[in-house]
Amino acid sequence: MKFENYHPCINFIYFLFFMVFILCFNHPVYVAIAFLCSFAYSIKLNGKREVIFNFILVLFVVIYCLWYSYYNHFGLTNIRKNFIGNNITAEALFYGLVRGTKAAAFIMTFACMLAVFSTDKVIYLAGRLFPKLSLFISIFLRSFSRIRERHAAVNISRKGIGMGKGQSTIISGIRNRLRILSIIITWTLEDYIESSMSMKCRGYTLKHRTAFSIYRFDNRDRGLVILLLAGITMTFMAAWLNQTNILYDPEIIMYRPKGWSYIFYLSYACFCLLPMGTEIINEIKYKRRQRLNGPTFRGEENAYGELL
Amino acid sequence: MELFEIRNLSFCYPVREREALTDINLTIEQGEYITICGKSGSGKTTLLRHLKPPVTPKGKKSGQVLFEGTPVEALDLKTQAAHIGYVMQNPDNQIVTDKVWHELAFGLESLGYDTRTIRLKVAEMASYFGIQDWFYKNVNELSGGQKQLLNLASIMAMQPKVLICDEPTSQLDPIAASDFLQTIKKINLELGTTIIMTEHRLEGVLHASDRVVVMEAGKIIACGAPRLVGDMLKKENSDMAAALPAPMRIYYGVESSLESPLIVGEEKSSFGSSLAVGEGKRRFESPKTVEEEKSSFECPLTVREGRSWLERKLKCEGKALKKDRLDEPDLPEETGKPAIYAKELWYRYSKEGADVLKGASISVPKGSFYAIVGGNGTGKSTFLRAICGILKPYSGKIKIEGTPLDKYKKGELFQGHLAMLPQNPQSLFVKKTVREELLEMVHGSEAEQDVDAIAEKCLISHLLDKHPFDISGGEQQRTALAKVLLTKPSILLMDEPTKGMDNHFKQSLVSILRKLENLTILMVSHDIEFCAKYADIVSMFFDGGIITTNTARKFFSGNSFYTTSANRMSRHIFVNAVTEEDVITLCRENL
Repeated sequence: MKFENYHPCINFIYFLFFMVFILCFNHPVYVAIAFLCSFAYSIKLNGKREVIFNFILVLFVVIYCLWYSYYNHFGLTNIRKNFIGNNITAEALFYGLVRGTKAAAFIMTFACMLAVFSTDKVIYLAGRLFPKLSLFISIFLRSFSRIRERHAAVNISRKGIGMGKGQSTIISGIRNRLRILSIIITWTLEDYIESSMSMKCRGYTLKHRTAFSIYRFDNRDRGLVILLLAGITMTFMAAWLNQTNILYDPEIIMYRPKGWSYIFYLSYACFCLLPMGTEIINEIKYKRRQRLNGPTFRGEENAYGELL
Repeated sequence: MELFEIRNLSFCYPVREREALTDINLTIEQGEYITICGKSGSGKTTLLRHLKPPVTPKGKKSGQVLFEGTPVEALDLKTQAAHIGYVMQNPDNQIVTDKVWHELAFGLESLGYDTRTIRLKVAEMASYFGIQDWFYKNVNELSGGQKQLLNLASIMAMQPKVLICDEPTSQLDPIAASDFLQTIKKINLELGTTIIMTEHRLEGVLHASDRVVVMEAGKIIACGAPRLVGDMLKKENSDMAAALPAPMRIYYGVESSLESPLIVGEEKSSFGSSLAVGEGKRRFESPKTVEEEKSSFECPLTVREGRSWLERKLKCEGKALKKDRLDEPDLPEETGKPAIYAKELWYRYSKEGADVLKGASISVPKGSFYAIVGGNGTGKSTFLRAICGILKPYSGKIKIEGTPLDKYKKGELFQGHLAMLPQNPQSLFVKKTVREELLEMVHGSEAEQDVDAIAEKCLISHLLDKHPFDISGGEQQRTALAKVLLTKPSILLMDEPTKGMDNHFKQSLVSILRKLENLTILMVSHDIEFCAKYADIVSMFFDGGIITTNTARKFFSGNSFYTTSANRMSRHIFVNAVTEEDVITLCRENL
């Protein structure tokens, strides 16, 4: 069971809170946890390509941190002077590092979000807020792809009589493009008449229209929501108990980890790793079942035990 | 029980003088399968549109249309939306949303069902129509046939009492079309849904229909069981007889030639008459004499019935046939440079994608009418585009009139050498009138005369001041052809020129092409009957290449599945009869 197959609301809650946490917390432990978790999850989701991307990001973090410390000189612990004669301080260097890491974690989480959120889910979530909106986005997407198909068809047809793109002089080429644009507008408007007829034929103008979605909210979704909320609550509690507080200027003053701080760190890590964890647990379960039941027919099920 | 009752319906579009519908009376029973046929412009679509209020055209109307006893205008929105389903011609324009599942749910959302109910009904529909495999797909990934099936399913989800289909298969290839019609028949048989449909491909619907209504110039000229209507049309020598399925036409051709010598070539030479607008108030009466009833009972509707009828007719006395084959010249030896020569073209759309052309080769002799047939997605259209240089194959040679394609200078190829008529004629239009459309192609002082000359040749002189989107499909096709011909090509490439056209338009297309001398035509088509009748050479395209090439008769008589219905009907008796005329000729010689 992949995280993306859970209800879109759950995907949304997770990414919303995760991103807010990344942006708000400056405490190095929290930043480190967020960074490592998003690093791991993005690679799990997007594969090898993401590894290269992530290491480039790390490089940027280092560059940013150096650049930041070069131009910001707050803090008491001097390391050395740069060539203009300004102090490079440990506080600024460290703060630069934290900011860079936060940005990198945010970008990686965003990459995860893009992988998890299909347009379908965005439309669904928008539809939760404004029921009509989701239908209109859907209609818009449909006509957008229609226009693109049309444009390709017109181009090919015109090429077939020697009046296509790149078959004429620049000026007649511009004229040609304008003609194509105008006919595509005509064509699209013409289509809309028929589409609106088809909508009316299927009762679009009736009152009390409902909005159907293919997503269901099942027990597994409820289970995950409970875990998510537990993680979020713990993190808020940590913030409330000053666990996440830190000052960098004029010197680094932070909440020293005490015994129960580790519980908060652990719960934050659990929250961050929840999607990846559920996926990994399901994969292990599947493999064990396969081992117990012997090999199944290839192609019957995918790696997550979902029937194909 | 009567579902629809049409009483004295007359209708006139605004500004027009001629009535589009005149005094229509028709009663449609619950559960009936009714086919309405007629030439384009005969008022079929106008009649259908009066059965569904949201699509009823504005104009002067008299008479009444009753749905279960209530005038359709007085029906409340919900009844109208749920109980009268309407499938339109163009599969694309009817689809509103971008996802298959959303489209299926659209009507149900309108009716205000809750999510649970919609989920169940959508699941039912997807399972019944076999949509579950592409349930989550984007609509633009579907084929034309799938799109039309989706339209049908999303209407059926609302459980209509009647399904009105306005030429639903005209934009589909033959296989998708027959699948669609099978599904319609299944709905009619299994669910008892009333079907009212217009079609120009009568082959697929006639045997399934309970009643056939024939319209001409806004009037119903015949109405009754398929065989009766066939008889009526033949007796009146109506233009619509040409639209009957091949077995029926052969039957009438043979039977009438027994009574009086029939000129077999008549159909081929009657291009002019196909354009004449039918006139007069003719109303057929059902035949009453015993012989007539017997003959109409005998008339075969399908290939199966045709086969047994032919066998009874020719083999009943057990004597050998006098003649069982027609003379056929061999494929002419190639002399001189071919007009089009392509050798082992390889092409793929993207770097990682699969090859679409896999070593496709062709050699088209000068002045021939060459047809390429084959299924959907085999790469036929791609091949055509590669030949005219729109797509660049990554390997292979192309010569146009003996000169390699890349030796032509920019723009030179499409001036006087090559031109392509696209599949969708609309995609060629960019102007407000047909005249401007044609003038776009010519320059200089003689432009007007050129345009007038080509318009006359293509039979569109009367359309010059209309908007190209306002004329009928066949007229658009002729306009596109005129536009293409203005580049004065010596080679014409045509991509599915007969798509969505009825027999009359096909005949007028051929008559235009015959008028052009020294023109080499390379055509890609699904239309087997058309290729068999008119093409000189036919090739089969499959899996990215040409599999076999032969003269039309040899090609089709050699196939057993992918061939004309006349051939399938007669292949157990005649060796190489391919068109209806062939079968009729051979029958006459043996009787």
